[in-house]
Amino acid sequence: MSNVASAMSTSANGSIVRRNAVWLIAILVVIGLPFIFSGGVAIAVLNQMGIAIIFTLAYNMMLGQGGMLSFGHAVYFGLGGYFAIHFLNIMSSGSFVLPLIFVPIAGAVAGLAFGMLFGSFSTNRAGTVFAMISLGIGEMIASSSLIFTKFSGGEEGITADRTEAMPLFGLNFAQEIQVYYMIGGWMILATWLMYRFSRTPVGRLANAVRDNPERAEFVGYSQKHVRFMSFAISGMFAGVAGALFAVNYEIVTEETVNALTSGVVLLQAYIGGIGLFFGPIVGAVVFTLLQTLLSNYTEIWALYVGIVFVATVMYAPFGLSGLIAMHVPVLQAGRLGSLLMPYVKIGVPAVVCGLGLIGLMELFHFTGDRAVGESEKELFGYVFNVDTATPWVLFGVLMVGGFILAKRMGPAVFEIWQEATNFDNSGDNK
Amino acid sequence: MAELIIFSLLNGLVYGLLLFMLSSGLTLIFSMMGVLNFAHASIYMLGAYLAYSISSVVGYWPGLIIAPVIAGIFGALVERYGLRNVHKFGHVAELIFTFGLAFLIEEFVQLLWGKQNLDYREPEILAVPLFTLFDSTFPAYKAFMLLVSVGIFVALLIVLTRSRVGLIINAAITHPNMVGMLGHNVPLVFMGVFGVGSALAGLAGVIAGPVLGTFPGMAVALGPIVFVVIVIGGLGSLIGAFVASLLIGFLQTFAVAIDYSFGDLFTFIGMTLDSQSAISDLYTVTIAQLGPILPYLLLVLMLIFRPTGLFGTREV
Amino acid sequence: MSAAIELIDVRKSFGATEIIRGVDLKIEKGERHAVIGPNGAGKSTLFNLITGKYSLSGGRIELDGNDLKGLQPFEINRLGLSRSFQVTNIFPRMTVFENVRCGVLWAMGYKYSFWHNVDKLTDVNERTQQVLEEIGMVERSQIPAGVLTYAEQRALEIGITIAGGAEIIILDEPTAGMSHSETDQAVDLIRQVTVGKTLVMVEHDMGVVFGLADKISVLVYGEIIASGAPEEIRGNAAVREAYLGEEAA
Repeated sequence: MSNVASAMSTSANGSIVRRNAVWLIAILVVIGLPFIFSGGVAIAVLNQMGIAIIFTLAYNMMLGQGGMLSFGHAVYFGLGGYFAIHFLNIMSSGSFVLPLIFVPIAGAVAGLAFGMLFGSFSTNRAGTVFAMISLGIGEMIASSSLIFTKFSGGEEGITADRTEAMPLFGLNFAQEIQVYYMIGGWMILATWLMYRFSRTPVGRLANAVRDNPERAEFVGYSQKHVRFMSFAISGMFAGVAGALFAVNYEIVTEETVNALTSGVVLLQAYIGGIGLFFGPIVGAVVFTLLQTLLSNYTEIWALYVGIVFVATVMYAPFGLSGLIAMHVPVLQAGRLGSLLMPYVKIGVPAVVCGLGLIGLMELFHFTGDRAVGESEKELFGYVFNVDTATPWVLFGVLMVGGFILAKRMGPAVFEIWQEATNFDNSGDNK
Repeated sequence: MAELIIFSLLNGLVYGLLLFMLSSGLTLIFSMMGVLNFAHASIYMLGAYLAYSISSVVGYWPGLIIAPVIAGIFGALVERYGLRNVHKFGHVAELIFTFGLAFLIEEFVQLLWGKQNLDYREPEILAVPLFTLFDSTFPAYKAFMLLVSVGIFVALLIVLTRSRVGLIINAAITHPNMVGMLGHNVPLVFMGVFGVGSALAGLAGVIAGPVLGTFPGMAVALGPIVFVVIVIGGLGSLIGAFVASLLIGFLQTFAVAIDYSFGDLFTFIGMTLDSQSAISDLYTVTIAQLGPILPYLLLVLMLIFRPTGLFGTREV
Repeated sequence: MSAAIELIDVRKSFGATEIIRGVDLKIEKGERHAVIGPNGAGKSTLFNLITGKYSLSGGRIELDGNDLKGLQPFEINRLGLSRSFQVTNIFPRMTVFENVRCGVLWAMGYKYSFWHNVDKLTDVNERTQQVLEEIGMVERSQIPAGVLTYAEQRALEIGITIAGGAEIIILDEPTAGMSHSETDQAVDLIRQVTVGKTLVMVEHDMGVVFGLADKISVLVYGEIIASGAPEEIRGNAAVREAYLGEEAA
């Protein structure tokens, strides 16, 4: 089958259903999730996840697709949120009303406008200069939000009431579940649009400019202009996410626009994997789960996230989605089974080491933080007395022992991995 | 008025030289290895925290030596086992790595020392006023800070311009490959520079902790300013770092002291203002309040119009 | 009718050092012109001047009558000039197919479109396929370009260069680092894909030069010391002395 046909077959052949299977499944999943995960807490978590997904995908338009590392993307998220919340307040005062579901458009406009404004001079160069400029702009806007309090509400932020918008089919969005479906709908729409963008000429050239800006110029494209377009459109979708944030929480503060929020979206994107379109979705889901669920079990969840992040940068720079993607050819060649035992052999000691490390850190945290007289800490279902040597020795041994064993298994597992991914003669074998 | 100027000058000098201690290490590291070390300010924080712990056991003075040494060793280890592995993934990955490291260090500090402000104090002998002018006093400890900073500057100058090591470092800054081919152990030089840079940052923390405060947010508070300094000064240029440190130091100190606002300016030129508009804050905000923004404004402007900075020869 | 490329008293200095010292050169349309010279003569610098990477210190360069002064590389490309690079310059994380397709998009008028779906553009995809066939990379089209062998990458490089249909093709040492057989294949490929176009190339391999070129110019220390048909150059004493030495083919 010629390449032209194969490149186009997924689009041209097959019914509408088959072509867009992924999207239809996504829609079904979004509709059905609340029935599996019902209850206030679950819906709140899902809402947070949905917003994070849009924001992280928007961010990856610049990082993964465009090769632009930004430390200040929360600017567009936060400004989108501020504009949306003012929009809501304007609607409350009665001047005019629109259904709530149109509010994210205000965020989109704000995100796009500021994206174009700051992008006009940020995109001259990529790389470290770009990162530094983004940092500078981020700090400027965050500081400004504490100064221009009329617009930003200062430290207290600005609040609004989403039920004051025009009711849609009788719904006034007071209930979280209704907000869930609004977020879900916008998430599918935004994701679809962003994916479509990546398949346009500009979207393809964004990848090219990322890989080799000089070469891209010699096929007729101004690298600055391509970057500018990615920047502005990425800002637009970040603004959409910010507006949904405003709708969901009914408050926007300096936190929404500050360096921490910018840092978190970078974390999410990178952990999920910046090389694949759907990578950031994985990152947003995993991070939101860690943030909401893990925090119930431990106070130092942020530390664990930090460790995972640094480990990802050092050992798995393609992120979680990259790790999964690496196994797809192996699966297709039917060799996945050969990896099972080796993974167990190295996985078990690694997990043991991890448990040891976690145990020690939790013990340490407990001793630093405890009230006078308290000495009992519960870990993994058992109760330990931190003043005795037992738990310390136990977890220390687990950590060190697990590490040594895992390290010893390393080379053998790596060899088996090499074999499993060796496809040079695959034409002859399978 | 004179009191204001004199003390602003002095305080600006103290703050500026402190910034220099931090930025010198950072610009050296960047120009040698092309890595912008986000975790530099975190090591500054580590220095302060370590000094606090040491001072609670054996007093302030041993901390002045021990803490920077530990910080330096930590930096060298980070370079050897962390950065060197990430180097092959490119500059962007290196930046992200140091960013993650900064985050991790901050979390670890909170794990080991807790989240509250620490009562890390200057030694008794220096907790006295050095002199009193008009109504304000200038603490002896700040004079001590000045002394240490100037001493470091002089030491750096001598090492880099007169010693053999300095010669190698200067060469490796502009031509690392060539230096490697001449037989010098460039990776070792890199590790050394990273270590020394980190030690300097740690030392800055030791002396600044009692004055600027010892708390988990101290890295985030100072970090971006240090970046501003090295970009404005020009990468690879110690002179640039020196000039820019003082510039920013004075700028921020003086800005805080100026209470005039744009509204005053507009009234001065005869315009009146509408106090109800959304950006009416622009009229009432004072230069003092704008203080935090000014360095970043300078950063962005410099990067747009002159990315090599004031004295730099290399672009970022 | 204006020449394809014309260099008029072109000069370039880096600081105090003058690298290109007054080069006059006229390359007619449809010509196959090779620029040769010893190492350090300034050949790559000359190419970078023509293609807009460096700015002129003096003189003028015209492309089909248009003055190239102050133009960015992408603007020069849009005037009909395309180049390959001495060090392989492809898009490593994109597939071979996508690499070539990038070379086609602007030329076919899609510009900065953010609404067309590239998968559905028949004209683009067919042209891409055509180029892939010409460079013999159809089998490998779905492989990320960074994984290809060196010779394959060089072939891809040429493919991207000609994909847009530019009239003037500049190749910077296209056979650098290739074995004998690879070089022969590359030469055939170059001859094939540049039919009817203007070709300018820098080469060190004399076999390639004498095999492909209609006209040869010799650049020594930033000046052209001889320019003419291959036989003239072969017989030129000054050239022999400056460059060919005992290698006189």
